[in-house]
Amino acid sequence: MNLLKWEKPGPLDSLTHIQREMSDLLDFLSSTPQMEGHVNVEYPPIIVSTSGENVFVRAELPGIKVSDLYVQVANDILTIKGERKAAPDAAKVTYLRRERDYGTFARSIMLPEKVDAEKVTASYKNGVLTVTLPKAPESKPKQVVIKKS
Amino acid sequence: MEKKELPAVGKKKVSSDKCVVTGKGNWYFPLSDIYETPDNFTLLIDMPGVGIENINIDLQDNELVVNGEVSQEAYTDEKVIYNEYNIGHYHRHYVISDAINRDNIEAKMSDGVLSLILPKAAHVKPRKIEVKAE
Repeated sequence: MNLLKWEKPGPLDSLTHIQREMSDLLDFLSSTPQMEGHVNVEYPPIIVSTSGENVFVRAELPGIKVSDLYVQVANDILTIKGERKAAPDAAKVTYLRRERDYGTFARSIMLPEKVDAEKVTASYKNGVLTVTLPKAPESKPKQVVIKKS
Repeated sequence: MEKKELPAVGKKKVSSDKCVVTGKGNWYFPLSDIYETPDNFTLLIDMPGVGIENINIDLQDNELVVNGEVSQEAYTDEKVIYNEYNIGHYHRHYVISDAINRDNIEAKMSDGVLSLILPKAAHVKPRKIEVKAE
């Protein structure tokens, strides 16, 4: 388990901070993708990635029922729509703090490559939606056989 | 019910001037709601990407510490071409009072949302006092 210690740092702790910032930087360069500084204005925030065979679109959508989610692909445009509902008893309870929002959302994404719309699959796990879009045969890299003449 | 559009909210990083962070990876404050019913306090915490096996909830003295770790392996074979959110672990802590019955705290996880139900202690629940006629 990782530990998080809550206290005011002393003067020597700044060294630890530098070390930490450096390791953050290394993490940034090596492992998971980090945001490139632009502010997202649309919900849900997405990450688009590609592998040899597929295009992946991931979106963080915590607390949504699968039946309230709608995913569609048409003409290489992916549409994610849905509604995040407030707690069922929200009208009766007293809110002491409210940061999580609810409401409807819809957004469309132009896909980076031609995809096979028939074979698109989507899964929703732990509040993250993953749409797997297999690339259309014409956008996959093809090896050209060189004939000897 | 009135329909409203969901705004996008960026994640807030756990900053090093507030606490000392050890352990690998980036940490973020998850968004959370707190509400009260006659019998309980409920905490709802958004932790997308955290599986039920990667949640740690600790109660020490009057501090409730919630840590959620995300698996960061999914992207190893992929090339990211567009990115709007950061992936990282979640940490948040709450100070709870004596108004909570600490023995019966319940935690549930569904669809990336952790809900903690903190039952009120008997002495803070609303009680009706009967008036007897003499």
